Amino acid sequence: MWIEIAGLSKRYGRGGALALDRLDLTVPTGMFGLLGANGAGKTTLMRVLAGLLRPTAGTVHIGGNDVATRPGKLAVQQVLGYLPQDLGVYPDLTGREFLDYIALLKGLEAGPARRRRVAELLELVALTGDADRRLRGYSGGMRRRIGIAQALLADPRLLIVDEPTAGLDPQERIRFRTLLSQLAGERTVLLSTHIVEDIAQTCHQLAVLAGGRIAFRGTVAELTRQATDQVWSVTTAGPAPAAGTVVSALPDGAGIRYRVVAAAAPAEEAVPVDPTLEDGYLALVGTSASVSGIG
Amino acid sequence: MIAAARYEWRMLLRRRAMWVSMGSVAALLALVAARQVSDEVRTGTAKDVMVSTAYLVNLVLPAAYGCVLADRLIRSAKLGVAQLLDATPAPATGRMVGSYLGVCAAAAVPPALLYFGFAGLYAGLTGTPAALGWALAAFATVLLPAVLFVGAFALVVPLVLPLPLFCVLYVGYWFWGNAVSPALLPTLTQTLLTPVGGYPLQGLFGWYGPDGTLAISGPVPHATLNALRPAATPGTAWLSIAVLLAAAALALATTAALRARTRTR
Repeated sequence: MWIEIAGLSKRYGRGGALALDRLDLTVPTGMFGLLGANGAGKTTLMRVLAGLLRPTAGTVHIGGNDVATRPGKLAVQQVLGYLPQDLGVYPDLTGREFLDYIALLKGLEAGPARRRRVAELLELVALTGDADRRLRGYSGGMRRRIGIAQALLADPRLLIVDEPTAGLDPQERIRFRTLLSQLAGERTVLLSTHIVEDIAQTCHQLAVLAGGRIAFRGTVAELTRQATDQVWSVTTAGPAPAAGTVVSALPDGAGIRYRVVAAAAPAEEAVPVDPTLEDGYLALVGTSASVSGIG
Repeated sequence: MIAAARYEWRMLLRRRAMWVSMGSVAALLALVAARQVSDEVRTGTAKDVMVSTAYLVNLVLPAAYGCVLADRLIRSAKLGVAQLLDATPAPATGRMVGSYLGVCAAAAVPPALLYFGFAGLYAGLTGTPAALGWALAAFATVLLPAVLFVGAFALVVPLVLPLPLFCVLYVGYWFWGNAVSPALLPTLTQTLLTPVGGYPLQGLFGWYGPDGTLAISGPVPHATLNALRPAATPGTAWLSIAVLLAAAALALATTAALRARTRTR
């Protein structure tokens, strides 16, 4: 199921902020990452794709359906699994009841089959033991897992997950990333996040959103190469290098070893090192920010 | 629609605040009206007892359940569930109607327990099973239309008014519009729009209080809004019920249309 976005703009209110600015993007079947800083427009894009917001301009076709039309939106929502960034739950319901409620709204009618599907997903997200507890007693991570389960209820062909690993502990995060990758196969899985590691571990293809526009579209390797010859290791007991962006700072003997993304060596003792995806992202965002005037 | 009705019903029944508030009001009612009810039990027929009890229950309990229902529609947005529900293929209007029916069904449970509990006790102690039939008729024509009318406005008005303000205004409205005499000040009391059930009580059951002089429907000399106070007859009783249900439907339909226009902006 392909997503084709052309000239998409979204402005909140008359004269309000332009959250998406003439965005063009094609997302193929499989796992696709959407990376960007907070406020880059990722959540707005996800909400437009889920049919929750109407575009101000431009078109969005998902599997050939125009989400701006009522029939198109309905057709998309019938194959959609959506995990919003700020997932809320009804505290008075148990985990099992909440999933059953959403399953009914998604059109899973037959009682035994629906209950079986709910049970399978509770098992998948390791909540079987807590399934009959009220959601008010769930931790943030458990609620997130309920959110993941509800997104998978109708065996969706399109899965839109917005910051899915926020609030998960490292083990849960790894398990969820693996699950997403397994689900991709014949589905389109759109993973929106500001956590570079989540993309690095799950996606081949990705886009970077900055200031409501696509700043990059390509493979993980291509984004990583954006920082080629721009990543440096500097070990010093003095202050951090002034030039470039400090990616990390690790105590090393008597000094601190800085990893810096900069166009030129930030210090005399700087040693070039191989870039990672995070370096590539920082190199790119630094460039696009200076081009578009943000940040 | 059925899914929303089922789960909204379940969630409201689990809400402790509903049982505490309605229980407190019911206890207060029992305390204040004990003497009146016992007089009615001693001297009245089964019909009189059931109808007068329906009036008492309907005079005070809606003040409590109107406030209890007030957060039901706005809650989904506050909890962050609304966007999840909106991303499903279930139509928003169907969900809203389902929520309405579910919460109204749940709100009717405490009055029903109180009322039918009393009716069962009365029927058992006096050996008059007909009381249960009268109770059923009074519940369907007096208490139920009130639940449906109050439920609709309690759900939709807080979409445009802060919840605490709604509760204060609603309780004020309830006693102004249902209990204050039109002879004292302009009020909706005794009009067709009065959900306390004056028209069905007098037009369908011919109940005018223990001494036959109670005025809870119909025109009042020199009062304003008498155009809305035709004499109580079976016809005007059904008209009053129809007006209340139509007003509820209109409130829901208007809200559904407005929400459909603004939801995806």
